Amino acid sequence: MPIQRRKFLATAGTAAAAGLAGCSSVLGSDSGDTGVAGETLTLTTTTSTYDTGLLDALNRPFQKRYGVTVDAVAQGTGAALETARNGDSDVVMVHARSLEDEFMRQGYGVNRRDLMFNDFVVVGPESDPAGVAGSDSATGAFAAIAESGSTFVSRGDNSGTHTKEKVVWEEAGVEPGGNWYREAGAGMGDVLNQASESRAYTLADRGTFLSMQTRIDLSILVQGPIEGGPELLSNPYGIIAVNPAVHENVNYDLAMAYIGYVTSPEGQEVIDDYTANGQQLFFPRALSEDPDFQQYVPEGWRSEADDS
Amino acid sequence: MLPTGVLGVFADAAAVPFVAFPFEPRYVLSIVFVSLYVSVTAVVLSTLASVPLAIAVGFADFRGKRLVTSIINTGMGFPSVVVGLLVLVTLSNSGPLGHLELVFTKKAMIISQFVLATPPITGITLAAVTGVREDVRDAAFALGGTRTDVALTVVKQARYGIATAVLAGFGRAISEVGSVLIVGGNIAGAGGVSKTRTLTTAIRLEARQGRYELALVLGAVLVAVVLAVNAVVVRLGDSKTWTGGGLR
Amino acid sequence: MSLDARGVTHAYDDEDGGGGTGDARRSDGGTSVAGSGTDGSPVVRDVSLSVDPGEVVAVIGPSGVGKTTLLRLLGLFARPDEGAIAVDGTEAWAAGERDRLALRRDIGVVFQEASLFDATVARNVEYGLRVRRSWRERLRDELRGLVGDHEPPDAVRDALEVVGLADYVDHDAGSLSGGEAQRVAFARALAYDPNYLLLDEPTSDLDPRNTAVIEDAVADASDRGIGTVVATHDMNQARRVADRAAVLLGDGVVEAGPTERVFEDPRDDRTRQFIAGELVY
Repeated sequence: MPIQRRKFLATAGTAAAAGLAGCSSVLGSDSGDTGVAGETLTLTTTTSTYDTGLLDALNRPFQKRYGVTVDAVAQGTGAALETARNGDSDVVMVHARSLEDEFMRQGYGVNRRDLMFNDFVVVGPESDPAGVAGSDSATGAFAAIAESGSTFVSRGDNSGTHTKEKVVWEEAGVEPGGNWYREAGAGMGDVLNQASESRAYTLADRGTFLSMQTRIDLSILVQGPIEGGPELLSNPYGIIAVNPAVHENVNYDLAMAYIGYVTSPEGQEVIDDYTANGQQLFFPRALSEDPDFQQYVPEGWRSEADDS
Repeated sequence: MLPTGVLGVFADAAAVPFVAFPFEPRYVLSIVFVSLYVSVTAVVLSTLASVPLAIAVGFADFRGKRLVTSIINTGMGFPSVVVGLLVLVTLSNSGPLGHLELVFTKKAMIISQFVLATPPITGITLAAVTGVREDVRDAAFALGGTRTDVALTVVKQARYGIATAVLAGFGRAISEVGSVLIVGGNIAGAGGVSKTRTLTTAIRLEARQGRYELALVLGAVLVAVVLAVNAVVVRLGDSKTWTGGGLR
Repeated sequence: MSLDARGVTHAYDDEDGGGGTGDARRSDGGTSVAGSGTDGSPVVRDVSLSVDPGEVVAVIGPSGVGKTTLLRLLGLFARPDEGAIAVDGTEAWAAGERDRLALRRDIGVVFQEASLFDATVARNVEYGLRVRRSWRERLRDELRGLVGDHEPPDAVRDALEVVGLADYVDHDAGSLSGGEAQRVAFARALAYDPNYLLLDEPTSDLDPRNTAVIEDAVADASDRGIGTVVATHDMNQARRVADRAAVLLGDGVVEAGPTERVFEDPRDDRTRQFIAGELVY
């Protein structure tokens, strides 16, 4: 039955699209030349990399050097990976390792690299009704919020931040729910505004919080690892090429060129140098004299060769 | 063009360091261009399809005419997000038309807005066309008009209604955010020029980051654009231009 | 050379677009004199009528008796269930669509209501000429019209002259009085120089002055060799304008002949009663 419905939807859409197909040559917006120059790389990524302005800074030198265009679609980790699953993007830059691993195990992604990291912070009202300020335990803070029944606004959108939040609840041994727990189903900015308006707690990525700090009544109550907080709140970003063996239409060459660039000394330097509001937002993590081989494969992955 | 209060907000927002200078004119212009290009193209194509369809349905007597009419009317309220998803499923590389590689292009946005604009344009045109008195149709026929002549005459007689239909379709297209976000991707190049970013998706982008003042400024631009287009269409639909001027 | 209805029967009108007059149908089998009312399209049964060039034929009878249906059959709006319509000897419904269009274009029609288009007087009157031009010419005229470079042809001015509205070329049709509108409708039918004119109660809504203008225009058309059929319930008008009269009662023509003879010496009892005003509807 689901298959039939899918077929029907596809047919309905086809009819609409076919009506326009004849006109496509007139519209001519994206015709490309042969060779890499003039080609377009479609990157699906999270709102945090986009909204902080990092992507612009990162992409500009790349576009210039290769004479290509990077179309960055900011969607949130879950949606970005889903778009890539459908073969509608060439490369994904996201921050939820568990979802990334799932994506790779399913065969959609290849050549994953660690890219950079920053961290999450627990933010809330100055009055701090749950008394979590200065805590060095994210799980402790979450448990206290739940215990006191203080309002907590969740992204609720299957984003990287949402994924991290769920991990923290799980580690804290709390099943969030009830009146005090609100799923916003919105982006980080919206959620921060909501939390500020209703004097609530939330989990935010540091970059977005810093960019909005002056306009909202929230402060950092539990720091992330960058400022000495718990490692649990670290926020690593990965970049993965879409597997051209699954979606033959993807621009694999350009995707690999892009991954090569952003993990190169030059790309890493752009990330290291990028500041907003006088603060560094992201920390490069691709280069190391002692590379972490775990970055290439899903966590816990073992090849059959290892077994023998 | 914008009220000073809004400009004040503008300056205020510009003072926030994170958004050094929020809108370069080039950026806003490119967004306005994409919005107009996509919506106007979708509405023009939809009008070319809708008006003949409305005339065919309006004049013909057939079983199920009521059903067709109510399907058209239901389509007017079809959620844009759903349309966006249907178009995405169709155009996605894993969908039936994937080989066209249309996802995240203006063409995809035009297709989804075409689907969105067609029910209101067809429905309101249908009402306008069936509202043309039968004796006027008879007159066109009596004076030696062919079927085509009669249809053209009806279109001319219904021109105010059709102009309203086109404006309703345009209003729906340019103000919707659900489908263009999904199939277009809200893409702006690193150089600050919109590729598939429209006024509505740009507003949503600002709102997502809590920059409500900037979102409102873009909202004012959207209202101004819609007003300007309405003025142009109303002028085109004016009787002087269509029916009188030629013989003066 | 004549426009003929030969034994036409038509139950109800569903040929041309349906709508308002489509479904009305007599249920009483024609025993009553009046049909199904002014909104319906009554039955005509086995009616024959002929008009020659330059001749004016009045179809008289009470309202709702089928005069409009008969005129619509003559004007080739609808196909008769039985019988034939012949234009200058050509059977219209035996001919192909293109030929029928050509026959139709020999006939001008004016309805009880002016039914003007929402446009200027000149554009209304030119309509019949316009649809006879090639698409290329029409496109050119429209484009010229947009820059105000299109003058109405002489035929438009001449036709308006006939109804005394030559100065109204640029007026908006919507701004006219009922009488003026009907005179424009008459000019509109005259402008493309038809061989036959069909007038359906052309003056029933008009004051005496406008009625006189229309009646003069009918006489003028007759002088130019146009054959005219005028349906009217106004017997005085029939006597003023018509050479011959046909009395339509019930489903058919009960009497036809020279107008004066029909009125002065009716041979049919029902005609006599009708003229004497003894038939009440």
